[in-house]
Amino acid sequence: MTLDYGTAIALLCLGLYCVMTKTDLIKIVIGINIMESAILLFLVRLAAAPGDRAPIYPAESNVPPAIVFADPIPQALSLTQIVINAAITAIMLSFVVKLYQSYRTIDLAEIRRIQH
Amino acid sequence: MEAALTNSLLIFLLISALFAVHFRDHLSAVLALSVFSTSMSVLFAVYQAPDVALAEAVVGAGLGTALFLIAVSRTRSKRSD
Amino acid sequence: MIKPLSIVVLVPLAVVLCFALSALPTPAERKELGIASKHIRAHGVNDTGAMNLVAAVLFDYRGFDTLGEVTVIFSAVASVGLLFSVRRLPNTSEGLSTITKRSIGALVPFIFLVGFYIVMHGHLSPGGGFQGGVIWGSLLILLGIVYGSRYAEGVVAKESRTVMESLGALAFLGLGCVGLFAGGGFLANLAAGYPRGTPGAITSAGVIPLLSLMVGIKIGAGLAAIFYAMVNEGMEVDNDA
Repeated sequence: MTLDYGTAIALLCLGLYCVMTKTDLIKIVIGINIMESAILLFLVRLAAAPGDRAPIYPAESNVPPAIVFADPIPQALSLTQIVINAAITAIMLSFVVKLYQSYRTIDLAEIRRIQH
Repeated sequence: MEAALTNSLLIFLLISALFAVHFRDHLSAVLALSVFSTSMSVLFAVYQAPDVALAEAVVGAGLGTALFLIAVSRTRSKRSD
Repeated sequence: MIKPLSIVVLVPLAVVLCFALSALPTPAERKELGIASKHIRAHGVNDTGAMNLVAAVLFDYRGFDTLGEVTVIFSAVASVGLLFSVRRLPNTSEGLSTITKRSIGALVPFIFLVGFYIVMHGHLSPGGGFQGGVIWGSLLILLGIVYGSRYAEGVVAKESRTVMESLGALAFLGLGCVGLFAGGGFLANLAAGYPRGTPGAITSAGVIPLLSLMVGIKIGAGLAAIFYAMVNEGMEVDNDA
């Protein structure tokens, strides 16, 4: 188990721990962001073997056949995922601001207490 | 992809994520998250994925941090008048 | 959930993931097994005319996924606009100091140009519609922060932002429908009659630069709309409290 896959697993578990135990809504949003970034790290790590080049042809027209490119498909998936992460974060933060306007607190324990 | 560069970047990533989870002050946690996104972008560039690195840099360090800062400023409970 | 219970749940998860990831093939082995990846890396330039293989995958081979992603951004902007829909006060923010206004004002055209370069050269170098579009959105946000929201409303008003965002999405669909009418299939590139050109020139790769431009306009307008919706709505709450 190399360090990069281990870091992806550690970040996923750290984000999940943050979502499960914290009662502060902004900390929960931060935890979800860390989980999403861990998945992105894993996807991009799948695409790169040692000795690869980035999947963009050099400017010369005749490409020497010795260049091996990195895999472009996980990189394209990661690109879409980054923009979707931004959209998800925007909607979550909008909910946090609206909850603050309704309950005047962003502590989950306090909100549950007010509701019941 | 040198091992020393990649390993040090990964350890820095873990440390900044730990700080982002640990800080109680919202502003400090959001800034730690911005550092996390920026080092993730550098790591993507080292992994030979320049498109993904560019996208993560503009979204994570630019727009995502701006949205977080708006939310932090709109949810502050103690305002000094 | 209390901390010990979450540790008890997370440690087996981490162990299972470690075992699962160590059973994966290494990236070098993966690239021998993947048929689509081998085809794209070998024939991507001839099939699409684009030098950037990631842009070729995003806008030609898997253009339909990009349409789904554009729809996600559209629904996110609509949701944030729905949540922050009440605005009773006029714009009153004045912006930052004079030094900041002067220096940022000198930089704004160059930032716009960098975004335009990244969008239009998406098929030749790292970049594309998403990255340049987010740069354009960040530029509109910068204008709002430095010059105050009253000036930013005058430069790019809310109605024209909405029109630009919708036009970007509709133009994306229109460019795809050209492929339908030409007999090549929805979002087809060379089969729909778009010119392929010589790979390496700026006018090459068929529909990919046009799709990049539409996606860039849509994302820039959408993200700036999200920012202004979140910022402008908060002002009336401060005066009520």
